[in-house]
Amino acid sequence: MEYSDEDRDRRVTQLRKGILELAVMGVLYREKHYGYSLVRALTETGSISLKEGTIYPILARLDRDGLVRSEWVESDQGPPRKYYALTSSGRQLFDELSKELDLLISLVQRKWKGREQNAYAGKKLAVRKG
Amino acid sequence: MNGYPEAVAKISNDYLERVKLQLRLVPAREQDEFLREIQSHIHEAYHQACLQTTGDDDVARMLAVLRNLGEPAEVVSDRLPRAMVRSGTKRSLPLYILAGITIALFGIPLGFGGVGVLVGLLAALAGLLVAYYAVAGSFLLVGASFMALGLIRVVLPELWDKLVMLGFIQFNGPVEIVNHLSPTGQAFLMIVVASVFVASGVGLLRLGKYLLRGLRFLMSLIFDWARRFAQTVRRKMRRDKGEGLPATPRIVRTQGT
Repeated sequence: MEYSDEDRDRRVTQLRKGILELAVMGVLYREKHYGYSLVRALTETGSISLKEGTIYPILARLDRDGLVRSEWVESDQGPPRKYYALTSSGRQLFDELSKELDLLISLVQRKWKGREQNAYAGKKLAVRKG
Repeated sequence: MNGYPEAVAKISNDYLERVKLQLRLVPAREQDEFLREIQSHIHEAYHQACLQTTGDDDVARMLAVLRNLGEPAEVVSDRLPRAMVRSGTKRSLPLYILAGITIALFGIPLGFGGVGVLVGLLAALAGLLVAYYAVAGSFLLVGASFMALGLIRVVLPELWDKLVMLGFIQFNGPVEIVNHLSPTGQAFLMIVVASVFVASGVGLLRLGKYLLRGLRFLMSLIFDWARRFAQTVRRKMRRDKGEGLPATPRIVRTQGT
């Protein structure tokens, strides 16, 4: 059975939703950011397009769970900015979650490599036959 | 002052008003803080857009900024009271019953009057629900009975006659007109009436899904309000007794430094 584009998009969105929270934590792990600069940091590589407003629910969740702390800082370029930084428990959780993610990625890539090798083996066999 | 041209400022303010509307159930302090944060985001994004793009279409620039930010409902989704966020998801009834019992038993800060009002409201909602489904059920039952009678009239006329003879089926009042119809006509009429009742019953059941969803939402809101009210009263009581200071705010304001 073929999957539809809509089905694929839904799954991609689901996958991203889970990872995005970790990505936000990863960016805040390195340095503190305010909302807009956080979006810039997440999208600067161009590998991901993001509705900017989606980071606010994530920040609200992290704040509620005590994983980030925030502070208002005056800006000479306009209104004050609300900076976020990971708390120590946030940093600890990020370390654990990124290890978990590494494991998952290696699992997915191992499967991929396995498939590639199989395909390669098949080709070699076909050449021998010829 | 945000330094926007007038039309741009109006668009930005409209957006912030929409965000504020979404946050109407959030405490005022939290609401104000989040609005300032979004205002700051819009300001940064707009000025960045001014630096990156040429031309003087400020309105288009601001609209692009707000489009990138997303719909207010998405932006505020995790700040709404839990009742509003979870209104579309399934929750179990036993949890509500447990919550009701807990409030009734331990809801002293809420006051027994409050508990009474809450229980009354819940009972009224439950009564409405039961009455609604009873009507839907009776429609289906009447429809099924008429359908069965119509089929008996056509397929088993001798059983029909026996039922009439035994007095199980009686035609009284205006329904006596049916006696003048042929057996097939009577059966057709009964099947038509049955279909109308069944369709109404099924329709009511389908509509009931929305009624249930609405009631769930209403109940969640009631519980949410009750919880917030209880929290406020408890906090006030604690403050009055001087049993401790309110929790230290997590946000450190460095304005005016």
